[in-house]
Amino acid sequence: MMRFFSVTVLAAACLAFAGALMVTVWHISGTQAPVDLPGLLVENLEASGVEHPITAVLLNFRSYDTLLEIGVLVIAGIAGISMAKTTSLEDPLLRTSDSLLYALQRWFVPLMLVLAGYLLWAGSDRPGGAFQAGAVLAASGVLMRLGGTPMEFLRPGVLLRLGLALGFSVFLLVAVASALAGDAFLAYPKAFNKPLILVIETVLTFSIAMVLLALFVSAPVNDAVEPEERERG
Amino acid sequence: MTLWLMAGLLFTPLAWAVLTLLLDFSKGRVVTWLGILVQVLVSLGLWAAVASDGEFLYLLGGWQAPMGIELRVDGLAVTFVLLTALVAAACGWHASIYLDPDKPWNRYFWPLFWFLWAGLNAVWLGGDLFNVYVGLELISLAAVGLVALGGQADALRAAIRYLMAALLGSLAYLLGVALIYGQFGTLSLAGVTDLVSNGGAQSNLTFPLILMLLGLALKTALFPMHGWLPPAHGIAKSPVSALLSALVVKASFYIAARLWLDLGGDLGGYALAQLIGVLGSLAVIWGSWLAFRQAKLKQVVAYSSVAQIGYLFLLFPLTWGVTDAISQQAQQGITLQVVSHALAKAAMFLAAGNLIMSVGSNRVDALAGVSRFLPFSLFSFGLAGVSLMGLPPTGGFAAKWLLLQASLASGQWWWLGVLLAGGLLSAAYVFRVYRASFIEATDTDQFYHPSRSLEVIPMILALLSLGLGLVAEPVLSVMSLPFEGAGS
Repeated sequence: MMRFFSVTVLAAACLAFAGALMVTVWHISGTQAPVDLPGLLVENLEASGVEHPITAVLLNFRSYDTLLEIGVLVIAGIAGISMAKTTSLEDPLLRTSDSLLYALQRWFVPLMLVLAGYLLWAGSDRPGGAFQAGAVLAASGVLMRLGGTPMEFLRPGVLLRLGLALGFSVFLLVAVASALAGDAFLAYPKAFNKPLILVIETVLTFSIAMVLLALFVSAPVNDAVEPEERERG
Repeated sequence: MTLWLMAGLLFTPLAWAVLTLLLDFSKGRVVTWLGILVQVLVSLGLWAAVASDGEFLYLLGGWQAPMGIELRVDGLAVTFVLLTALVAAACGWHASIYLDPDKPWNRYFWPLFWFLWAGLNAVWLGGDLFNVYVGLELISLAAVGLVALGGQADALRAAIRYLMAALLGSLAYLLGVALIYGQFGTLSLAGVTDLVSNGGAQSNLTFPLILMLLGLALKTALFPMHGWLPPAHGIAKSPVSALLSALVVKASFYIAARLWLDLGGDLGGYALAQLIGVLGSLAVIWGSWLAFRQAKLKQVVAYSSVAQIGYLFLLFPLTWGVTDAISQQAQQGITLQVVSHALAKAAMFLAAGNLIMSVGSNRVDALAGVSRFLPFSLFSFGLAGVSLMGLPPTGGFAAKWLLLQASLASGQWWWLGVLLAGGLLSAAYVFRVYRASFIEATDTDQFYHPSRSLEVIPMILALLSLGLGLVAEPVLSVMSLPFEGAGS
């Protein structure tokens, strides 16, 4: 009886939510937005240093959002490796001996690395950029890991932490340098727009791949026992 | 000058997060002390600058809204920036002594701590709906990481639960932001407020507002969506619990309050405001009752947070459809409540951590006899409790007094009962802890004595919370500076 009641309430809530959402979307799609942001964007694209509007928004107009988002990724990486017990990366459980995987890997990994490079470069004038390139790079890392390629740098040591922090620190340094030289945090000097954005994109690709890969590698959980709140007692 | 202060304020926490990520716990601790000093000085400087010269907009990347992101540096924002600096400095200092440097995972405490601080500042200053969302994500993930630190099964369970609640709340908020953006084509809160008050298609915008408030209420642990809070705040290490209760839950409330004050007048309604007020009142009663019933000390404090958060939601009914003077009074009351609760609750959690460390158990019963061995920490706990009860001259009293006046002036006398009952119930759970600690008939005489600094920190916070009632006037005068640049 109780169960029937809660299921009914839940279903009603979902229906009401979906209905209200549909009505609102219907209304909104019928009205003209009073602020024409895409238009403004096209007008200012020249000043941003890149030709693709999405890259311009991510790395110039709203670069503060992107900076903080990279921070979110780094946090996820930190939280992941803080729980890792990767004393050995050569855990036999994590290795597959699949001949199909080996064969595929030989074909795929070089191809994916090239693709990652292409995506990174493409970001300047068509869809692409650091996030996509980083994801592809991480995926090739996952393939290599499954195939048993030794990747020493993924041990939670200083190299891994450097890799996690690299993209974020370069971005941050650019941000604060522009604040010291110019008028505001993240206001790039006009002459250096394009090279700066390119440098940031490249190191971001690397760090995003590192975060994703670190999360994949450090999945196991620490099962050491620590008595509650008695660290020195 | 203010531009330098802003750059310092935004840059320091992020830079220190990276620095401490590369160092181990003990070196990170030294670096952190330096960072805390810088951050406290910068926050004080910014507060003084706004108090003397008034508020300003800070354009990130030199782009104006709606193209770029603007930070709204007004009196309320700098009040919270300063509060964050004080509380986070205390918790960071406490943690640097409290946490064990030999545990390999504790080195990750510092980067998460600094990212959390960066996220909090981003939220206080945010003037852009999406930017605030990013700040919230920064806070939530760092907080979840801090709860889970070390990855023991219990902590992990609580952290995952917390993560799910936080993500669900964020998604609801984001959906609301997307709908607002679809309607107006801008993400700037000031821009949206302007368009709404000029009568831009209102009936279909109540749903996005409700969605955003619902998501934020879930993240603030408003009754009945508070289930995730006590496990997460109870299981975390004490400095982490203090940060979570004092600051993290306030961030999502702050956004909800800003949304309500800017958009609620046009898009909200009497029923919505009263409903939120009723939920807040139920949180006060139910949270206090559960706090009274808990067997574990930190759970008592955690449920007390659920109750104290309830008061904050009285902002919604007390500012809807009332005169400006009453609304101002209610806002001041709520701000004081946020500030005094942040100070008192941080003091309480840190003191509770000391007590638990001393007796070696989290149970309230186990406190028997501790009053003789650790009177100083117990006294800090009690002083913080006095502020929670709302006795004069504490900040809690000043806050409740203002809320009381606002309820009477707006004719909403029914909130009086909540304010009075909440105070009595909080006295009940604070005195219960005291009673346990004064029992002398005990066979344990094994007490560990925490270092003196650990005991001093909660005392400072508790005294600040106590003294807030006496200096409420200058704090309030800065916090309520009108924002003249809004909508320009």
